[in-house]
Amino acid sequence: MIRIVTLAAYDEGDITHLSKTLYRSFGVGTEHVGERALPKKVERSDGRFDAIRILGDAPPVRAYSDDKVLYITDKELAIPKGPLGEPPAWGYAEQGGDRALISTFRFKPRGVTEASIEVFRRRLARESIHFIGHLWDLHHCYDARCAMHPSWSPSLPDDPEFELDAFCRDRSERRVRLAKT
Amino acid sequence: MVTVGAVRTLGKRERADKQEEASSPVGNIASSADLKPGDRVVYPKQGVYRVTGLEQKDIAGQRLEFVKMTREEDGASVLVPLGKVATIGLRRVATADDIEGVFHYLGANYGDPELDWKVRHRDNVERLIAGGVLGVAEVVKGLHSLSRLRPLPAKERELYDSSRHLLVNEISVALGVPDVIAEDYVDFALMPPAGVKLPLKTPPTPVELKGPPWKRKKPIVADDDDLGLAELGIDMSALESAAEGAAGSEESEEGEAEGAAPAAEDGDAEGEAVPAIAIVKAVERVPTQKVPAPRKAPPPRPKGAAAKALAVKKPAPKVMSRPTTKPPPKSVKPTKGAPTKKPAASRPAPRKKGAKPAKGKKK
Repeated sequence: MIRIVTLAAYDEGDITHLSKTLYRSFGVGTEHVGERALPKKVERSDGRFDAIRILGDAPPVRAYSDDKVLYITDKELAIPKGPLGEPPAWGYAEQGGDRALISTFRFKPRGVTEASIEVFRRRLARESIHFIGHLWDLHHCYDARCAMHPSWSPSLPDDPEFELDAFCRDRSERRVRLAKT
Repeated sequence: MVTVGAVRTLGKRERADKQEEASSPVGNIASSADLKPGDRVVYPKQGVYRVTGLEQKDIAGQRLEFVKMTREEDGASVLVPLGKVATIGLRRVATADDIEGVFHYLGANYGDPELDWKVRHRDNVERLIAGGVLGVAEVVKGLHSLSRLRPLPAKERELYDSSRHLLVNEISVALGVPDVIAEDYVDFALMPPAGVKLPLKTPPTPVELKGPPWKRKKPIVADDDDLGLAELGIDMSALESAAEGAAGSEESEEGEAEGAAPAAEDGDAEGEAVPAIAIVKAVERVPTQKVPAPRKAPPPRPKGAAAKALAVKKPAPKVMSRPTTKPPPKSVKPTKGAPTKKPAASRPAPRKKGAKPAKGKKK
């Protein structure tokens, strides 16, 4: 089961759309647990929020074994700097673990028009699938049409697809089948 | 830790293993004495393991000692016999400096990927086993650049994913960051976002592959005649004297061949088989002169009314043009006196309209 926890106020329609999309993608039941407060002392000196610390200090959610918990925030996330610089952080997940975090900070504004809302929802679905994919032990995919393609890749279109390609879908289904519950 | 071993001559396999050890990259574990409980090592194509200690087991009536290791990512255990530690390619986890070199390599421009799948597959397997962390990075980068040209086949897609997993795992252990962030670093180097310029330095030299014999660089041999027979214990003086004797008889053969060659060139000798030795000798003497290969006689043309009828009914079949436009040698031209031969297979015989083409020509 995938449990969604919002760390900011989101439209109920967006979350319902996300739940349905996640169910279609992984074949696993999805529910919105509710809204929780952002953990304290996770803000860095530069005004961004430490993704690893947010996930570490995130409010616990009642979940069973093999359940995956997805946290959604609207804050700008930061991850440790690498040897070649800091990659843009769209989210963070424990590889093969059970908790993931995504941020809607880098999304295009939701707006009020039907088209802009649709774009926002599609991007929300894509990033959620991407980071939940990491929880199923998936790696990044070279195919720009796959949801596991890196979120900052220059080959990613403005309104990217939010489905897994055949290889990633196969792997995730295998992992879901192997789950104990 | 105690090493098990007795004084004895090395077998062929062990010699090969020793050679492999000698040429293996820095960081390889040469003996089980280098390992102690708590050490982190990389098992080629498997991942990062932690040494947990020694274990003794009775197998087939023998008491054997093993190094026990546990894989960090899933806790899987593996037992390696003490004697095999040096030969399976265990190595230390890469240092932060090595990892930095890997990122500079990943971010650097890469040449065209290998397009021959056999060569690519063999090289990739070799890199994964003996190439260290840079070898794994080379596999990832090579397959990544290939994936930009065309989708990877299923097997290579699997290899790409597993080598990416190994690379990410080792980077995450070496830098002390979670796997997802290590993977972000890798992809940040491979496909940086638009407008980002990476601070790249000179990448490390890629792993040198031994490869198959035909691919290796051959050392320059000073003397072409030296076949290394002396090393095999063959008496060279006896061979030389035998060669001198053979040279005398060869001269006489050459004389015969010289006599035979003009005869073969005569136009009257059509249909006669030219001795192969004579042709070879002629080629040896005049290397620039090309000897045309003997060709079969063209099919006999129909004469009289039959030929006229054929010319009216159907145009001559198209003959594929050949790069060599040399006419066939005089000696093989059919003449009136010579017996007619079967039509050559290379030249299609004229056929009627609507007739199906021959099976062999279908391609």
